Amino acid sequence: MVRFIHSSDLHLGKPFGRFPEDVRGRLRQARADALPRLASLARAHAASHILLAGDTFDQTTPAPSVIRQALNAMGAADQVTWLLMPGNHDHANATELWRQVTQDAPPNVAPLLTPEPYPLTAHATLLPAPPSERHPGRDLTAWFDGAVTGETARIGLAHGSITDFDSSEEGGSSVIAADRAQRAGLAYLGLGDWHGQLQIGPTSWYSGAPEADGFKHAQAPAALLVEIAGDGAPPTVTSLPTGTITWTRAPLDLVGDEDSTGAFEALLPPLSERALTLFDLVVTGRARPLERVALEQAIASAAPDFLWHRTDLSGLGAVHDTADLDAIDRHGALRAAAEVLAREAADETLTAQERATAQTALSHLFSFALETE
Amino acid sequence: MKLRALHLTNVRKFTGKRASITGIGDGITVVSEANEFGKSTFFDAIHALFFEKYSATGRAVKSLQPYAGGAVEIAAEVETDAGHFRIEKRFLSRKAARIARLPEGTTLAQDDEAERWIAALLGTGREGPAGLLWVRQGLVGLEPDSPKEKSQLMETRRDLLSSVAGEIDAMTGGRRMDRVMRRVTDRLAPILTKTGRKTGPWKAALDEIETLECTLAGLNAQVATLDQALVDRKQAEASLKRLDDVDAKARRDASLAAAKAALEKARAHAGAVTAARQARDLAALTAKGAQSDLDSFLSALEALQTAEKREAQSTAALADAADEATRQKSALDRAQRHLKTTIDTATGARRALDAARRQSAARAAQTEAARLDTQIADAEAALGNRDAARAVMRASPATAEWLRRAEQAQDAVAKLEAAAQTRATTLSMAYAGATRITRNGTDLPADRPVTLDGETRLELPGIGTMTIRPQNMDEAGKAQLAKAKAARDALFSEAGAATLQDSRALAATRSEATAATDLAQAILDTLAPDGIEVLRAAKADADLAAAGAHGDALPPIAELEARVSEAEQAQEAAQRLLDGADTDHARARDALMKAQATAEAAQHALDRARTDAGPPEIRESRRAELLRSQAMADEALTTADAALETLIAAAPDMQTAAAELQRAEDAVTAVRSERAQVAERLAALLSEIRTHAGNGIEERRDEAAGQLDAARAIEAGFARQAAALTRLKAALEAERDAARETYFGPVQEELKPLLSILHGDAALRFDGENLLPAGLTRDHAEEALEDLSGGTKEQIAILTRLAFARLFARQDRHIPIILDDALVYSDDSRIIRMFTALTRVAQDQQILVFSCRQLAFQDLGGARPAVEVADV
Repeated sequence: MVRFIHSSDLHLGKPFGRFPEDVRGRLRQARADALPRLASLARAHAASHILLAGDTFDQTTPAPSVIRQALNAMGAADQVTWLLMPGNHDHANATELWRQVTQDAPPNVAPLLTPEPYPLTAHATLLPAPPSERHPGRDLTAWFDGAVTGETARIGLAHGSITDFDSSEEGGSSVIAADRAQRAGLAYLGLGDWHGQLQIGPTSWYSGAPEADGFKHAQAPAALLVEIAGDGAPPTVTSLPTGTITWTRAPLDLVGDEDSTGAFEALLPPLSERALTLFDLVVTGRARPLERVALEQAIASAAPDFLWHRTDLSGLGAVHDTADLDAIDRHGALRAAAEVLAREAADETLTAQERATAQTALSHLFSFALETE
Repeated sequence: MKLRALHLTNVRKFTGKRASITGIGDGITVVSEANEFGKSTFFDAIHALFFEKYSATGRAVKSLQPYAGGAVEIAAEVETDAGHFRIEKRFLSRKAARIARLPEGTTLAQDDEAERWIAALLGTGREGPAGLLWVRQGLVGLEPDSPKEKSQLMETRRDLLSSVAGEIDAMTGGRRMDRVMRRVTDRLAPILTKTGRKTGPWKAALDEIETLECTLAGLNAQVATLDQALVDRKQAEASLKRLDDVDAKARRDASLAAAKAALEKARAHAGAVTAARQARDLAALTAKGAQSDLDSFLSALEALQTAEKREAQSTAALADAADEATRQKSALDRAQRHLKTTIDTATGARRALDAARRQSAARAAQTEAARLDTQIADAEAALGNRDAARAVMRASPATAEWLRRAEQAQDAVAKLEAAAQTRATTLSMAYAGATRITRNGTDLPADRPVTLDGETRLELPGIGTMTIRPQNMDEAGKAQLAKAKAARDALFSEAGAATLQDSRALAATRSEATAATDLAQAILDTLAPDGIEVLRAAKADADLAAAGAHGDALPPIAELEARVSEAEQAQEAAQRLLDGADTDHARARDALMKAQATAEAAQHALDRARTDAGPPEIRESRRAELLRSQAMADEALTTADAALETLIAAAPDMQTAAAELQRAEDAVTAVRSERAQVAERLAALLSEIRTHAGNGIEERRDEAAGQLDAARAIEAGFARQAAALTRLKAALEAERDAARETYFGPVQEELKPLLSILHGDAALRFDGENLLPAGLTRDHAEEALEDLSGGTKEQIAILTRLAFARLFARQDRHIPIILDDALVYSDDSRIIRMFTALTRVAQDQQILVFSCRQLAFQDLGGARPAVEVADV
């Protein structure tokens, strides 16, 4: 029997340049901390190996400190063996990276740079399919079918998307046959590239990234604990949570009559979690002006709770009637200006940008008029 | 509301007194008093009563307190639609406010409740209608100075117009519009300047984008460099592996060895070819030498024949030339002798001519010496005459000028004496008897006048003595005459004359001496213009030249000169003959020398040809030997050529062998060089890769790209915000401007008839911002308000307030207009028309005017209550 941890896509050294400096630091550190967390899981579940199915590093030439600190963290967990297979971000042709890894790797770390069998244990052989380029454009797992592994259990390790499911994070051209595990007689096929955890078939899994790096995947980041008993028995796969920072993209679709503030507050995570949450609110639909003002005030009030927040109100249209415009003024210049802007916001003959500008101007007018009460 | 009475107690100058104005009418009421009577005190008191809280202690209230202190009390009786009321306030001490209904005097409200009653009556205090219509003394401008007051009046105008026009505030948005506009401006200001330039965080975002774009471009370039370096390193490593291939190296070494062997073999064969070529060349030289010897011998024989012929010819020519030279030498000697004879003849003729000429000159000098001797004697006589005459001149000062002055002096004395004579007292006596009158003992002559020079005593016999003291000449005249005489005598004495006659004789003598001097000098100048010594020197020269002169007869000079000429012509002919002979002799001598040289050369050539040909007895055997040697050398050359051709045909290609060796050596060198270059390049690439990779360049690039995206998103947010706020501002301004057009309509309507009273068809334009008149249009031309005169501005300000007041009245809000010493800048003509406008408005509007211009305001009409002052 062999028991190992399957993970991938750590993307160590990812800069997160779109975020403020303090958030960038937190996000980088969280990714670096994923290594001891994986080691801890391996120790807790008596796993002998940790298989990283590509994209351990975010670039082909990461800073030496990123490589060295990662290797140090792996070396510190000397009860397990780390097997690092290149991905499309840190492909095997990234000579400088892998030269340094090979040079500095502690005894319990082995890079898998060539497509050849690797004896995992006496009873299991690992078949790696390391990408040689960022976009190899062919099925690198094809050689699994004819690989000679004796009587040992055959465990595949690959990085990319499968043919009938675009699992590539970047829409890449990697093509892995969906039935590769079956065709190659694999007891387990560990996949990387897709940052969310996903089971493809009875024996094929994307482990997902141990720490989220975007809002794309809703489920909590996790690693996989894989147990292979042998004798053709299906693997036992257990998902183990690993994430520390939550990336939440919260859609808020308003229809115009509901309590927008209440709906917004219902989306909010518990206060205790917000400090480690990146909150991306996307508001769509329509709202009455007063509701919009109230919503904006509520958002502004909640924003400081989060590690980072962003609100996209560009998809939020306006719905208003006479009563709404009365909030600005019942008549006179202010009212007339409000009506002009409301007409512009709804005028299909204008460009979308002009309508959006008028809509925003009207929202400001509501906001300013109400402030003056 | 209408004011009916005002009561001031203990206010300013009314210390301990109460000043009252009662009987204020419905229309115009004029309180016209002299300066310092307290009209401004009344005006300020009205403001305090209506605008200051009873508890106020500010400057406006304290300024009302008299020097003696004490509570300030102000009261007004007003009439409203609800009835008559008395409004009372007590400031500064036991402060209180009270509203009482009249005439009962029952209290309606007190203190704060009374304040609210007043506020309800007037609106919002100073910001209410009264604030606009109660004009302070001397307030001419339309805009107060302090921003606070300006703001308050803006609010006042808006409020007033709002209440008057009903919907005006709603139309313009009123204060809400202002605040919204201010919020828009406040939100725009940090990111957009008034001139539309991006600023603040927006500008910073743009700057950051620019910086990040530069940074990203730089990082991309570095990443590209790194990528290329990695690719290059891979290629370099592959190259190094290829260059280090063992089999390829063995192949290169074997090829090099084979090429070296082939080249050695080729070089050996080339040596054999060289030797054969040298043998062939030697044979060729031998054959050439044999041919040359033969040719030389044959040429020598031919040259000998030619030399013998030329030697005979040159010998004959030499003999001819010698004969000719001898003949020409004889001719030359004859010409030389003839020339010497002609020269001697000419020399003798010239000597005879020279002797005749010298004798002729001596005789002429002898004659000249005699003439000079006479001339010298005459000159010396003239010199003596001149010196004698000059002595006479030097001894006498009686020049013509002196004589003229002497005559003038004499004339002056004569004139003075004649004048004295004219003025002298004369006495003429005609005796009748014999008795004579004596003067100074002498009888006075009869029948002729006797001049009395001075005091004259006459003895009149039998009568007595008569003394006459004539006044002939005064002392000055006498002195003048004496002076003239003295001057004349002194002048005379200069030349030793006693009289004018003497003087004239002396002057004549001197004049004659002068003439003699001039004559002698003239003679001297003629005879010896350069002095007598020059004459003497000339005479000495003539004496010297005349030495040797004798009296013998001389041959004719012309004859001697003819002889000389003839001899010289003969000499010239002889010379020409000599020159021709000399030329012919030189030519013959040259021909002789050439002939000698030719003969010598021919002899030398003959000698050389004989040597070259050798002795005559061996010449045939020599020819046969040379012919045999030539044939043998030609055969040896043919043999050598054949051997060389054979070797050349069998020779390997040396260049090919050398090229092959070069190629093999180059291949080895190239591999060695390429390996060194690749190794060096690899080292450089490793350094470059470590430098870039060590900086985490991709990470930095991705980070910069992310930052750039974020900055662009922020900038886009600013752009959207600015666009929305700008659009909002434009919409608000457009609607507010449209509303203001409506806003000013009623005011313009009310103002129009009032303005026509003053300025005909003039019209006012209002400023949309401060709601005040901005320009006056007259005769189709607009004048900015600030350019108008003080009087016109003052009148327009009052007319505008009157128009506002009429608006209030149309809305049943009757607020009295109070003018404190207004129209101070208006002239008599305008003030009358302003009175007309006031009277027009006063038909349904109470107007209270305080003025110190009693005379001017006589024409206004209206009620004229007096100020009553009484002790409290």
